Amino acid sequence: MKISREEILHLSNLSNFSLSEEEITSLGADLENIITYISQLDELDTTGVEPTYQVFEMENVWREDEILPQEADREALLALAPEALDYQIKVPKVL
Amino acid sequence: MSNKYQITIGIECHVQLATKTKLFSEVDNDARGKAPNTCVSPVDYALPGMLPRLNRTAIEMAIKVGHALNATINPLSRFDRKHYYYPDLPKGYQISQLYQPIIGAGQIELPDGTKVRIEHAHLEEDAGKLTHFGDYSLVDLNRAGTPLIEIVSMPDIHSAKHAHDYCKELWRIMTYAGVCHGDLYHGNMRFDVNISLALPDAEKLGTRAEIKNLNSFRSVERAVEYEYQRQSALLDRGERVVQETRGWSDDTGKTTSQRSKEEAQDYRYMPEPDIPPIRLSNETIAKIQATLPLMPADYRARFAGVIPADTLEILLDYPQLIRKLGEFADLLGENSPKSIQKIANIFTSVLLAEENTSLLNDPLPSAEQLRDLALMNDNQELSSTATKEVFLKFFDPEMHFKDTKTIAKELGVIQENDLDALGQIVDQVLQDPTTQQAQADFRAGQEKVLGFLVGQVMKASRGKANPSSAQALLRQKLQN
Repeated sequence: MKISREEILHLSNLSNFSLSEEEITSLGADLENIITYISQLDELDTTGVEPTYQVFEMENVWREDEILPQEADREALLALAPEALDYQIKVPKVL
Repeated sequence: MSNKYQITIGIECHVQLATKTKLFSEVDNDARGKAPNTCVSPVDYALPGMLPRLNRTAIEMAIKVGHALNATINPLSRFDRKHYYYPDLPKGYQISQLYQPIIGAGQIELPDGTKVRIEHAHLEEDAGKLTHFGDYSLVDLNRAGTPLIEIVSMPDIHSAKHAHDYCKELWRIMTYAGVCHGDLYHGNMRFDVNISLALPDAEKLGTRAEIKNLNSFRSVERAVEYEYQRQSALLDRGERVVQETRGWSDDTGKTTSQRSKEEAQDYRYMPEPDIPPIRLSNETIAKIQATLPLMPADYRARFAGVIPADTLEILLDYPQLIRKLGEFADLLGENSPKSIQKIANIFTSVLLAEENTSLLNDPLPSAEQLRDLALMNDNQELSSTATKEVFLKFFDPEMHFKDTKTIAKELGVIQENDLDALGQIVDQVLQDPTTQQAQADFRAGQEKVLGFLVGQVMKASRGKANPSSAQALLRQKLQN
């Protein structure tokens, strides 16, 4: 399966990655290989087979609506951000 | 609005659920008045390896909402990932429901009887809050992970007023159901409005514009009115309406095109593998739905023909008032429309008067106190002024626990209806030398001096006499 340059750029844009020219070429080739490999599954006739959403046959896994103390506090979490200001995460301007 | 074009409107409404914790983490969901990023956990922060833990109460509330929207609950529902990259969404995807939402098709009725179909409604998580500054933005994740129900209407709305009424009715339904704090100012409910115009005989709908993130009924109404003008002007000039997202400004009263997000429209939905499906039995659904309180539509049906529609609509904005009225009507039985009207009028004329609205935060009088109040007013023991006076005392911390008669007695406002006692007071007034001239004038045909004599009786009784009885008795005695 052929992956066009435009599709690579579209995907990198969606993921907010900037790619070098070299990466555009090499990732394109990689993606083509991966998708061609996975596409072998298309040969199977799956008519009437229910899609597999998950491999554990569990249902209704939920918890009660009770507040629990958190181990990581605000300072610990903000310390992970590249930049913080006024107890908030500082990011380049977005609109 | 002219009516050259038919306007067609569909509305998506986001409702923040008033659960104690977030949809997928055990963190305080009520961030009102709390410092930024204090209601967050590693799950909300999307640290690697963190897994969502589904809040059961959010599922129960969704089941209630489904019932309130007269909708089906899907016995099997699932979560899906909706991918987009934005700083208010640390995971890079929002957990939502695309393929198998929990709430199926439904319908609500607006106050004037117009029906609006619900396409479906689904559960999803809210994003964080961004505040923009000069060349940077700040991210507060307190709101990230708050459970939302998104209610998607069919394009059944055809006027700005109905768009307003639909949003308001949803707000009432959610607050009556007790699933949402209903604080629009703080974004508890937000509306996205899709608007298109077409000639009335057109076979298909026109191109639509979507106005995002409106947070008041009035903004919804104004934005629709503005879009009608904008789109009809384009169509009149033979131009096309562009399918786009637009923002609304309350200050300018205009919608403006927002930066096109066409790239971001590719959400690459996929099933959420971290949350097993939700399977609900009919028994579970029925049990939860049985806890849904009466809805605005139930009260409309109950009080139709008893309370005028406009009064009823005002009362419906205050769930505690309409519920108290329901309790009062239960106590009286259904054969007392007059008393129900009387109490409804006191609620609107006294409690909703500007100087008294603070009383709405206090406990309301009991149904028994109201029953006795209506009864004493019926028996003419309380004049209409005295009735209101006693009613206000129901909110007095010194008096609210006393029964109506005791309060009326303490205030000394019970009207004297004992005709013998009244007769004595009338006789006393007629013997008073200062009234002799008036009596002579009345006998000579001057009807209006009767008012003066009634006034004297009222004064002598210290306001407790029933004026119409006093007048009748005076007339009788003077004509003999």
